[in-house]
Amino acid sequence: MSPAPREAVIALVDCASFYASCERVFDPRLEDRPVVVLSNNDGCVVAMSQEAKVLGVPMGIPWFKLEPVAATQGIVARSSNYELYGSLSARVMEVIGRHAAWQEVYSIDESFISLRGTVEEVIQAGRRIREDVARCTGIPVRVGIAPTKTLAKVALLGVKRSAPLSRVGVCHFGAYSPTQRDTILASIPVTDLWGVAGRLGRRLANLNIHTAADLAAQDPGQMRRRFSVVLERTVRELRGTPCIPLEEEPRQYKDQLIYSRSFSEPVTTTPAMRQVLSIYAQQLASRLRNAGQEARVLTAWASTSPFATDQEPHSPQISAVLPVPTAEPVTIARGSLGLAELIRPGTRYVRAGVVLTDLRPAGQAETLPGLGPPGEGRNLGPTLDAVVARFGVGSVGLGYGGLGTPPSWQMRRAMLSPRATTHWDELVTVRL
Amino acid sequence: MRTRVNDGVVEAGFPSPSQDYTTAEIDLTDHLMPNRASTYLVRARGHSMTGAGIWDGDELVVDRSIRPQHGHVVIAVLDGELTVKRLRIEADRVVLSSENPAYPDIAVPSLSDLRVWGVVTVALHHVSRTS
Repeated sequence: MSPAPREAVIALVDCASFYASCERVFDPRLEDRPVVVLSNNDGCVVAMSQEAKVLGVPMGIPWFKLEPVAATQGIVARSSNYELYGSLSARVMEVIGRHAAWQEVYSIDESFISLRGTVEEVIQAGRRIREDVARCTGIPVRVGIAPTKTLAKVALLGVKRSAPLSRVGVCHFGAYSPTQRDTILASIPVTDLWGVAGRLGRRLANLNIHTAADLAAQDPGQMRRRFSVVLERTVRELRGTPCIPLEEEPRQYKDQLIYSRSFSEPVTTTPAMRQVLSIYAQQLASRLRNAGQEARVLTAWASTSPFATDQEPHSPQISAVLPVPTAEPVTIARGSLGLAELIRPGTRYVRAGVVLTDLRPAGQAETLPGLGPPGEGRNLGPTLDAVVARFGVGSVGLGYGGLGTPPSWQMRRAMLSPRATTHWDELVTVRL
Repeated sequence: MRTRVNDGVVEAGFPSPSQDYTTAEIDLTDHLMPNRASTYLVRARGHSMTGAGIWDGDELVVDRSIRPQHGHVVIAVLDGELTVKRLRIEADRVVLSSENPAYPDIAVPSLSDLRVWGVVTVALHHVSRTS
């Protein structure tokens, strides 16, 4: 008897209810309770735990509507703690990466990795990943495994939707017989597939293509001609042929965009530094958009002159994970302003810069409802660019960089948990 | 921020005599938290662990990748709270012991009844508050 084949497969590792799970890491009282996480300014529900889903809390419901009944149903609400989520995401991704030769960090809570082995070996590897991530970080993850990315996502849907699989937390598409696979694909609406959005779904429905099985039965070449090469790939991947490669190097380490300048006169006050940062951030947002890209991570820094002998050198720096990848100028400006709070008033700073990293092509990220940047969809960036092009640099600007300071810029985060991994003064307290 | 003591630049063909000694500055983070991805910092509040050298207000380094063993100082989940105690695994029970005679020990039937959140590896105790 020949040994079982040790095939290369793709695993999609995804964090279960990531934001709610992050809230639970430092607050065990939230375990088994319905937890909802609110958008910017505590506007509406953008994420929730499984318990809240079971209660029927609708995604996107405004908090003022949910608040009156929240207490009676035992629902706990938290403001979005982006600092915590970004920090825990980086930890989760690092631990996942230890288990694979290749890793693609796909979003804040999803990562593709490659594994090799028999079906049983790979399922065991999936279990080890789950155990390791839970132990090291406190975040529960689920693993969907298949020969292709598209089918790995299908396998993950199985973990989410089938009670027995959700207890195991790992599903390998290759563990099923061809007949069983057909049954699984026939149970998956085509719009649940990776990259098949609602509009495309309606066009497919007109052709009587309703399920993943229906789509898999189509002629790939015809799908390309009628729709796109993307849909052709989906058909091929549903049949088990890998067409969408793993991005071997994580994008976040590849590209960055920097805007840094020396000042004509030293900057010595917080308001002046805010103004500088607003202008730099706006410049960067414009460049980013012109390049058709979005950024997820922002770093801002300032420094004193290395030649000054009459003051202590000082080089403050901040990093922020933006709520979603964006080229939206308000978000980028706001992210960089925290640096102004770190300067020592009176000290003469001669240079500052803003750096955007983790760049990706625009429009790829799936934005949770309500969690998008506040200016998104209002065409703010292009409008500002058009005004500047016509009337010159400095004719219009954001906040501190131009038209004064709208008070609404202060984000409301009334139910914010401690930023326990990024702020010394917000460390979680343990009882002795 | 890590600083290279010597970047080993070769000038005009003459290697720096100190090149063989190129090394990195001592890095406190590497020393105190070798497993960064699984390490969290928390603040201690209370007086039950003074015998273990943990004082009210100290910062604790917690490495969750370490499997808890007899004798480790651990953070356990008790009634939804994170609590610091010494883990003692005995023949017929598990004890979370205080290290201050004024505080009681807590017994649990077995290790499976206990949720350990992480193993405390270091207590950062400030001896001169300068700011």
